[in-house]
Amino acid sequence: MTLGLLSQYVFNGLMLGMIYAMVAVGFTLFFGVLDVIKFSHGDVLMVGAFTGLATYLGLQALGVDSPLVQLLVMTVVAALAMGLLGALIAKYLVLPLRLAPPLNTLLITLMLGSVLREAVRLFYPQGSNPKPFPRLLPADFVSFGAFTLRADSMILLLAGLAAIVAVHLLITRTKLGLAIRAVAQDAETARIMGINFEFIVLLTFAIGSGMAALGGLMNGLYYNEINFGMGLLLGVIGFSAAVIGGLGNIYGAILGGFLFSALQSIGAVALPALFPGTSTAYKDVFAFAVVIIFMAWRPTGLIAEKKSERV
Amino acid sequence: MNQVLLACDGLSMRFGGLVALNALSLSVNEGEILGLIGPNGSGKTTFFNVITGIYQASAGRVDYRGQDLARLSAQEIYRAGVTRTFQRSRLCLPLSIFDNLMIGNHRRLNHGLWFNLMRRREFRRQFEQQYVQAQGLVRTFSQSLSERLFEPAASVNMIDRRRIEICRALISQPTLLLLDEPSAGMTHEETRELMDDILIVREHMPGLSIVIIEHEMNVIERITERCIVLNFGQKICEGPYAKIAADPQVQEAYLGTA
Amino acid sequence: MKRLIDPASAFPALISMAGVTLFTLLFLHAESQEAVLGLTLGAAIALLLLARFGWNARAAASFAGHSGAGNASVIIGVLVVVAVFYDQHFPLLMLASVLLYIVVCLGLNLQFGYAGVVNFAGAAFFGIGCYTAAVLTEHSALPHLLVVVAGGVMAAGIGSLLILPVLRTYGHYAALITIAFGILFRVFLEVNDALGGPQGMKLPGMEIFGWKLNDGLTFGDIEVSFYANYVLVALAMAAVAFMLVRRLERSWIGLNLDAVRLDETACAAFGIDVARWKITAFTLGNFLAGLAGAVYAMMTGFVAPNSFTFGDSLILVSIVILGGIGNPWGLTVATAIVLILPEKLQFIQEYRLLLYAGLVILILLFRPGGLMPRQVRNYFPGWKP
Repeated sequence: MTLGLLSQYVFNGLMLGMIYAMVAVGFTLFFGVLDVIKFSHGDVLMVGAFTGLATYLGLQALGVDSPLVQLLVMTVVAALAMGLLGALIAKYLVLPLRLAPPLNTLLITLMLGSVLREAVRLFYPQGSNPKPFPRLLPADFVSFGAFTLRADSMILLLAGLAAIVAVHLLITRTKLGLAIRAVAQDAETARIMGINFEFIVLLTFAIGSGMAALGGLMNGLYYNEINFGMGLLLGVIGFSAAVIGGLGNIYGAILGGFLFSALQSIGAVALPALFPGTSTAYKDVFAFAVVIIFMAWRPTGLIAEKKSERV
Repeated sequence: MNQVLLACDGLSMRFGGLVALNALSLSVNEGEILGLIGPNGSGKTTFFNVITGIYQASAGRVDYRGQDLARLSAQEIYRAGVTRTFQRSRLCLPLSIFDNLMIGNHRRLNHGLWFNLMRRREFRRQFEQQYVQAQGLVRTFSQSLSERLFEPAASVNMIDRRRIEICRALISQPTLLLLDEPSAGMTHEETRELMDDILIVREHMPGLSIVIIEHEMNVIERITERCIVLNFGQKICEGPYAKIAADPQVQEAYLGTA
Repeated sequence: MKRLIDPASAFPALISMAGVTLFTLLFLHAESQEAVLGLTLGAAIALLLLARFGWNARAAASFAGHSGAGNASVIIGVLVVVAVFYDQHFPLLMLASVLLYIVVCLGLNLQFGYAGVVNFAGAAFFGIGCYTAAVLTEHSALPHLLVVVAGGVMAAGIGSLLILPVLRTYGHYAALITIAFGILFRVFLEVNDALGGPQGMKLPGMEIFGWKLNDGLTFGDIEVSFYANYVLVALAMAAVAFMLVRRLERSWIGLNLDAVRLDETACAAFGIDVARWKITAFTLGNFLAGLAGAVYAMMTGFVAPNSFTFGDSLILVSIVILGGIGNPWGLTVATAIVLILPEKLQFIQEYRLLLYAGLVILILLFRPGGLMPRQVRNYFPGWKP
């Protein structure tokens, strides 16, 4: 394999890893504040991508055709809409089940994911077909031998990085972030200290879901295609990434995201090389198998989850 | 009477940097009721958790009838005859009262797949025996409760739940019973009733040793024969209630060094 | 879990079963969409009215107190349906499918209804049974009864690969592992050429001791649909599985499983081996799924990866929740509703996933016990202290 091809793999891996990390950060945020898994996260991402697409079509119809304006409006609309959706999910599905067995929260969000997926498939015009996603980023590229560096990929990578850094700063440097961390540490005490528990939870869900919308748009811009089923796999991958890294830990989530994409790349490259004749399609089989083995070895991930049970 | 049942020596438990038990040494005698007291965070519940194998001790040993409990799993410790109640009720609320008691009687039931699925006649015999025994035990606490064994544990009030928890710990006829703040969340009147029950149990099972963690000093005064005071994971005082209540070190531990 | 109601006479149970059988006959017979819809709504209203007059509680108590008569009446009900539709493929195929899915759901119920071990790969374990049957019937001359057992053993065996990670983790992690496994399994089937890839594989019909199930019986001029054979086999399987799961629940083992689900710390304090019981429930559950899968594959004569999606696993989970977690009768009723309704009411076919997912959300929010909430364990029906 040439160095150029290798760099191509590495770059694609980074790109995917960034998207995974964005999803994983959402899972970790929700788990951090409320100790719950919101399984509909991947499908929220998908709905975010479709919201972006619908916004684009609306703008086209209105005659707005500057790609920059279109992109900005799409991002804002999708992020806000998904933020709202996330907060609604938290308020009406997750918080009411706080006292029920934790499994019920997982089940209800899993079912909500199905509802979102099916709703898009059935009610979005021709929702069961893949939809072309507009190319809105400059298509310039530079080639180094076999390695092509595309401007759009570069922009996406930087945008993803910026979004993660922004969330990180929000959580570590602002008063709001302090409140989120306080709730994550100990909800009871945070409440006694005058923190509006419900508001913080809703806000966290909104932030995480907004991130998912960005991830959805990035995914669309990168592949130039979206479909109603994309959220399921991305959700499971994001969840795996968050678990590999250690649920509740933002660095862990980012690390997990890149690790998962590295696993897929290794699966795609190494398996056919080691066992001639195997298809690269085994890459997901390989990646998930490694995740399952990893979890048997380190059940709480690389950076261990907080343990809070009192006996 | 003064035969030592359980003796721990240099028992330590660390959680990261936090030292919950600091080289604790103490002993429990056969047939006594021992009160374990001390301010919040002094390591009382941690002591129970280490003794019962829920936590693995960082150092030290716990001698109990020739075995070192610090090296055994929670299941082995239960089988060796040590049972407990929990500070926060840990009943399986959706299950019936009888089911909860049978959880406590696990070591005396047959759990074979074949026996449970295919030998229904023998199973029925065992079941009926267990029912009689469970009902007898609960009746020593409360007649009305003993008539409601097939109702969900969730359907009874706080004091009855406590009683079920104590019965669950007693039904397997342990040698050492650990009670973790049985009066928590109950009124004075209820606490008094419960303590009477515990004294009745004692009369029925004279060989039983009981260690009780308690904050209500009048409870301690009434039912214990000996007390041990913990602070910062160490034993600071030991003796009958009258003695420890007068001890300046104990008063300081509770009131703080102002 | 609700408290027990005193068992009354066996009549309410028998009358209810007669009503249910009659309704099933009408429902399966109805052709026009209006008739099917009318029957569905009529049944719902009738059930609500009966519940208002306390009939449902009486019937439930009667079933609980007279399980022998109750169980027999259900089996007779199924046989009556077979007798009425003896020459029609479709209703009998539906009936056999429902019975096999009941076996799968009984397995799931053992796993997460009792032991609390979540399994979102139910369809995958069912699929392992299907593919095992496909491979064995193609490459070996193994008697089909053994093929079916092999389907169950294979599902349990592959499931045991997941035991270690499932045991070492809890709650959400175990969920992730089974979801990841389900996806892995399906991708594996699709890319694996030896197993037919996306096109899947074909199977011969089942044969038990020379009895070829794919040959319909003929009595003189009367030709019985061959699916009637499969209904009988599926009925036997479902009845045995149901009885075993029931006995398991009504034993110390069922109690251990409940305790493991409800409080692992208390389990440890009373010597209950959490790992042992989780493994027991998980393995037995997967075994049942694989068993049913093998028969199902031979009945339909065809397997393909598309039938074992995550969505299918979710439907299985939905059935258990809708029926009432931990209640074998609940899941029996729920399986019938969930499988038959979309087949008869074609306009909901397309919307069924949406519908069921929405229903489960409502159930979890407002009636977590399901349509038929589980009752407190009654070790021996009719037993009184």
